[in-house]
Order: sequence, then structure tokens, then C-alpha cells
Amino acid sequence: MKISTHWLQTFFATPLPPASELENLLTFHSSEIEEVLPVGDDMVLDVKILPDKSAWLMSHRGVAKELSVITGLPLKHDPFINIPQLTPKTEALTISILSPHCDYYAAALVTGVTVGPTPDWLKERLVAIGQRSINNVVDATNYVMFELGQPLHAFDADKLTNSAGQYHIAVRQAQTSEKITTLTGESYDLSENQMLITDGSSTNPLAIAGIKGGMTALVDSDTKNIILESAHFDRFNIRGTSKQIKLRTDASARYENGIPAGIAPVALSTVVTLITDIAKGNLVGFTAAGRIDYARPRVAVSLKIINSTLGLRLSMSEVEVILQKFGYHYEVTEGDIIVTPPWERDDLVVPADIIEEIGRIYGMDKIVSVPPQPAVVSAFNTRHYYAEKIRSTLMALGFSEIYTSSFRSTDIVHIQNALASDKSYLRSALHANIREVVEKNISHRDLLGLSAVKVFEIGTVFAMETESFHVALGVQSGTSYKVKVDDELLKEAQTAIEVTLGTPITWLGTADGVTEFSLDTLLTMLPPVTAYDEVHPRTLISYQPFSLYPSVTRDIALWVPVTTTAKVVEAKVVQAAGDLCVRVTLFDTFIKDDRTSLGFRLVFQSKQKTLTASDADAHMSAVYDACSKSGWEVR
Amino acid sequence: MNTAGHKHPLSHMIALINQIFAKIGFEFAEGPERELIKFNFDMLNVPKDHPSRDMQDTFYLDGNPEVVMRTHTSPVQVRYMQSHTPPIKMICPGKVFRNEATDATHEAQFFQLEGLMVDTDVSLGHMKGVLEYFFSEFFGGEVQVRFRPSFFPFVEPGVEVDMMIKKNDKNKLSGRWIEVMGAGMVHPHVLKGVGIDPDTYQGFAFGMGIDRLAVLKYGIDDVRHSYSGDLRFVNQF
Repeated sequence: MKISTHWLQTFFATPLPPASELENLLTFHSSEIEEVLPVGDDMVLDVKILPDKSAWLMSHRGVAKELSVITGLPLKHDPFINIPQLTPKTEALTISILSPHCDYYAAALVTGVTVGPTPDWLKERLVAIGQRSINNVVDATNYVMFELGQPLHAFDADKLTNSAGQYHIAVRQAQTSEKITTLTGESYDLSENQMLITDGSSTNPLAIAGIKGGMTALVDSDTKNIILESAHFDRFNIRGTSKQIKLRTDASARYENGIPAGIAPVALSTVVTLITDIAKGNLVGFTAAGRIDYARPRVAVSLKIINSTLGLRLSMSEVEVILQKFGYHYEVTEGDIIVTPPWERDDLVVPADIIEEIGRIYGMDKIVSVPPQPAVVSAFNTRHYYAEKIRSTLMALGFSEIYTSSFRSTDIVHIQNALASDKSYLRSALHANIREVVEKNISHRDLLGLSAVKVFEIGTVFAMETESFHVALGVQSGTSYKVKVDDELLKEAQTAIEVTLGTPITWLGTADGVTEFSLDTLLTMLPPVTAYDEVHPRTLISYQPFSLYPSVTRDIALWVPVTTTAKVVEAKVVQAAGDLCVRVTLFDTFIKDDRTSLGFRLVFQSKQKTLTASDADAHMSAVYDACSKSGWEVR
Repeated sequence: MNTAGHKHPLSHMIALINQIFAKIGFEFAEGPERELIKFNFDMLNVPKDHPSRDMQDTFYLDGNPEVVMRTHTSPVQVRYMQSHTPPIKMICPGKVFRNEATDATHEAQFFQLEGLMVDTDVSLGHMKGVLEYFFSEFFGGEVQVRFRPSFFPFVEPGVEVDMMIKKNDKNKLSGRWIEVMGAGMVHPHVLKGVGIDPDTYQGFAFGMGIDRLAVLKYGIDDVRHSYSGDLRFVNQF
């Protein structure tokens, strides 16, 4: 939520610290600040308010109160200290709560208002926090919402039925397919689990309760008499409706976070004062229905638990100072503190809630670390241990480990809400993924300097009811002797795993150089683990983002004197080939008639584009030239 | 050309994480990836109407309203606490699933590292010590940790954890605070739910993305590479 520092200042008699310091204070004691923005001569804090604080922090009063507790600067006035009586009462306005999702509804009737432009000071506040000014009456309701956290609404009273000198508001559930058009012109088809504010006489809908006002009783420039609403609705119902009709507003966000009902009369009294000031008019009176529960159960917490949870050594008086800054009522008895939370804090229920309040105000950053002591584990993870053994075995044979998606386009277990149609099932085996990966990597063989693509994966697969941990491996040499070469490489790997685990394995789905087995079914037969193998930190890894453009391969064979080493030749080739040559591999060497024949494979790749054959050829001619100049014969 | 193969960075990191935590007695526990809602949400004090349960955040399966693809490895903690008595020291690295659009920093499936310690007097101070030890060993060099207030339904107090590697010209990450994980003291409702008396025992829990650790440790530019099976990625490790 955007919070204006000018606005915050109105709560304090003494100047607040600059915005940068407020950012810091809130970050370490309350909530993250997404950004600090200058707006005119104001500074606006964008406060990321998390769910546990949303019920009482989504307002300038809420943030001012936090800052008062954090800094120790007292609030000049706290609107929550005295609950207004909402007098005088009026008979001209009656309210019926017919929905189980509304527990309190208060309204005020104000006559003779002049709807017009909003005073600059108020407009500036709203604009600073990104709100559009509409007219003085609507702006006043918005202003009080951002000040206190209570959604408010103004209806044009003359657009309601006046029956024998009475307006009647009814809060009720919508009927099936009941329609409402909001004040910005969108239409909604409602259902019976959604709540409406209605004209009790005509039964016409006036607003989607807690979410948005309707067109019917819109306040416009001709409006003279208004009814102001300040109510409390069930958070779950508002959240449900907001989701169902896909309409989230500043009002619904506050209700769904569970603002306390007690703010409603405070906000109503405040907005009436503001409107009779800036839009003139006369207050006829208030009406309220339902009840507000101000009582909060007491929470007892011991100093010992506070310290043993936070890892601090606070004294009772340090804890008391913090509670005093909050203004909480508390009693201290023999190391126990019994806190009575204020009515606006219904989130303080268990001791841990109080401990958090004390910890964050004292400063979570002041917690002192207790270094852990060396210890041994009482049980080993055999699955991890043997998976590591299999990894080492396969890596020694040139296999690289991959992780693939747990989702497939078709399989056994269907996902109800898949991200995409090709990801709508859980994989029941690994081999299909392995096959795809092998195919995909064939074209990178030269780039990676591989004679064959050899991969493996260790991961979970899903049957209808069960899941198990599988190992799959795949080989593709890309040669024309595929069956002979690939199957041989695969057999070698299968044998090596059986040797490592010391047990024969039931291989599943072996075909086309791909095979798989269930590690879980073997685990019970394997020897117990007594120690993990040492893992060596890899210090020399330097990862480079790789080019996604295809590479081009060229071979060159040279005759060089037997006295010339392959290393010298390779260095010359690398130098001549230029920066786009990303790999040079010596793939063939033989000696004949006092000359050595060297065969090199060069791979060219750009980070900017797909190289053409002629791009590669141009670089190769530079290589030919350089070799000729060195007196080497290109074969 | 029979060169050695390459271990996937996630596997390497999980093995390293296990080694670091095993030295201070933390057991490596696992649990199912397709998990009961009871373990994934209910027993973790996640309210029935919590947004994380929505279809747009969690994968549900046809014909089985009781299960989800686990959205975190916290259900492993729940199962572990049910079957063990304190003192408890465990980690649970594993694959998790979120129904969200993917980009260079988000995958719909990724790996998490969570950890838990429960005993009679475990405090946030112990957590700070354990995390400083872990990050120092993992990143190499002295690492400081600090906490900021935060919120997760299964902990109270909840904190956001920042770390700072001691300034070192060779390490681009060093000398600045980096947000790395969420953590806190296990909520008494969670302890009670698994049959551990919250009046006797207390503990901390923490959780972070292993993919994020990889980004920090190796400078990986796109977390999706990890799950692509692309050897141009894997063979750099």
C-alpha cells in the first residue's frame, strides 16, 4: 500500500525522520518497503503489507501507529482510542441485516451537500498515493478509508425510495442471476452466495456488499442528500465473491484481510465530520444495526519463553517498555505478562503472537547467533546414498546427469489444472523424457566434444496411487552402427550399476539405447549405510550463459613433420579460426613416412546469429592459410 | 573420447547441503511429491481460504480431491515430526510444484531446501547460528545472517533471512546483503497438530529455493536450464 509521509506526519506533533530512515525502520521492525517515491514535495512509501498485518496496517493510521511504537514518538491523536457514540440517531434511516455475512452496518444521513471539487489539500493526499480525485463527497470516503482502513460508501439518498419519510437499507444475499451495474458501468450477474446492499423498499440493488457501489444511487453533481455507509462484512464471503466475479477493489482487499468491525463507527463519524466541512450539508443523524465485539481474550506469556524463543536476554522492564509503546493493557505477575490486546488487534491470540511483537520492535536484527556444535546423524538417507553411488558410476563412464519435467502430454495420472496441454499428466516413467533429451542433444555433440550423447536421470515417477524413485539412462552415438554401438555402451553402464549396487537389477522398457529401473524396490536389499561419501566443493566451476544458435562443424586434416607436436598445431588452428570457433578437438592421429597426420574438428557458433555454411568456410580459409604458411600440408 | 560425465548442479548442491548439515547432526528426510492436502496445508496452519490453496497456485489431480502436488517440502517436516520425538534436527531438500507462469527466475517445478530443529530451548539465536554455519560452508568464507520481520502461516515469529558474504574482491556476491530465505519459530498450532507439546518444545524451520542457491553460487542466468536436459548447460558443471 502506498503511504504518504506528509499524511503520516499529521499523526505526530514532532517531525518524523526522513523517508529513507522511515524505510529502514519499517523494514527492520514491521514490513518490507517496495520503493520510496517522491511525489511533488511529498515522499511516498510503497509498503508491502503481509497477510498477518493486513487487518490493521492497511491505512495511514496503521503505519503511523507502527512508527510510533518503533520510534517512541507518541501519536498526537489516535482515532481508535475513543469510540464515537454515533449520535444523534435518526428515524429517517432504517437498516435491516438479512444476510448472515454482515455483522454490523452503520449509516448516516446528511442533507444539503454541495457536490463539487475537492479541496487541494485532500486532493494532493489522494493523488500522492495514486488515487484519482472524483468529487468532494467520494474523495472524502476514499480519504477516510486510506486514513483508517475502513471502506465507506456514499449513496445519493434521493435515488432510494423514501417511504413515509424513511429510507430503508437492507443487506441481503443476491438472488440467482440477479444483476447489478456498478458505478463505473460494468454489469455483474450474481448468485445467491453473494451479498448485496439494497434499497429495502424497492429491493433494488445499490452495491455489491464490501466490493463496489452500483450505478443506481451514484453520487453526482446534482446530488443533494446522501447516505453514508460504514459496515463490516465476513472476510471469507467478500473474498469468495471478489474471486467469483473477478473484481478486487481497495474495499474488498480490506474486508478480505479481516479488518476489525470496531473501525466502522470511527470511520463513519470521521467521514461525516469531513463531508459536512468540505461539502457542507447537515447531519440528520445515524442509524446502526448489528453488533461489534470489542473484547479480546487475554494472552499470558512468560519472560522466560520470550527470551528462549527469541534467543535474547531481555529484562522484564525492557519488555514492559515495548508493551507501553504499543499502549497495550498488561499485568505482570511473577515472571508472567498478561496482555489484553486492544480491540483493533484480534490477531494476538497465542503467546507466540506477543513474542513476535516484542521481538520485532526490539529488533530481529539484534538476535545473537548460537553456533551449532558438531554432531553425528542418527540415521542415513539410503536413497540419497545409493543415488550418489549410481551418479559416480555413470559419470565415470561419461554419462551426464539431467533433470527433466515431471509432466508429460499423456500418461496415467491427469492433472486437473495443468499449465499447458503438453504438461497435463504426471510421468509414470523416465524413459520417454530421456529419449527426447538424447534426441535434442545429438546436434550438440560436436559443440560439446562428445562422441556419443550419454545421459541419466534419477527422479520420481507416478502411478495411479503410488510414486517411486527411478533411474533411467540413455545413449545415442549417432553412428550408422547404432544398435551395435549404443547397445554396447548401455550394457556397459548397466553392468557397472549392478556391480556398484552388488545386485542384479530388473531393467524396465529397454529399447533404442534407453533403459530404466526402480531404485526404491532395490533399497531394502542393499547393505545399510554407515557413512556418506565425501563431497568435494567444486571451486573451479565458471558457468557461462550459452548461445542458443546452432553451431557449424568443419574438419581439417594436416600433414605435419613428426617433430611438430599436435599441441603446437592446435594452438595455431585455434588462433587462426577466430573467436567464433568455440571448440577444436583432435580426433585422428597417425604417422606415415616420417610425417604425422592430424585431424581436427572445429565447431563455430555465434551468440548473435545462426552461422551459415559460408560464414564457417570463411573462417576455415583463414585456418588453411595459416597452416600453409607454417609449411603444413592440408590433406 | 571417453571423458568423464557431469553431475547436475542440483545434485551436487543437495549432496553438499547434506554433508554440511550432517556434520551438525541434521538428518536428510524425504517424503512424497504427490502429497495429501492434510500434510501440505492443513497441518501447517494454512487457513482453509488461504490464497496459496487456489487453483492458480497449486496443482490438483483428477479424481482425488485429497491430494496436491506438494507446493513446498514442509509436509516432510510434518511427517517427520509425527514419526520422531524431539530432539529433532532434519533437512528436507526436494522437488516442489507451483502452478505459475515460468520465466528466467521461475519454474513450475523446482527444488527447495527446508530444515527443522525442535528441542526444549531452541531459539532464533540457534537458527541464526545454524544458518551462518551453513552459508559459510556452502559459499566458502565467512557469512553473516540477519533477520527481518515477515510472515508465513506455519511460523510465529516469522522472519525473512538476509545473508552477507564477507567482502572479498574475487566474489561478486560478497559485501552486500542478499535476501535468501523465509524462516521462523514453528507455530505452536503446528507442533500441537503433530503431537509435540508446544509448552515443552519449541523449534525453528527455514525454507529456500535450491535453484536460487544455484543462481547465487554459479551465476546461472535462467533457472529453466536446470530442467531442460540440455547438455550445453549440464556439461559446464
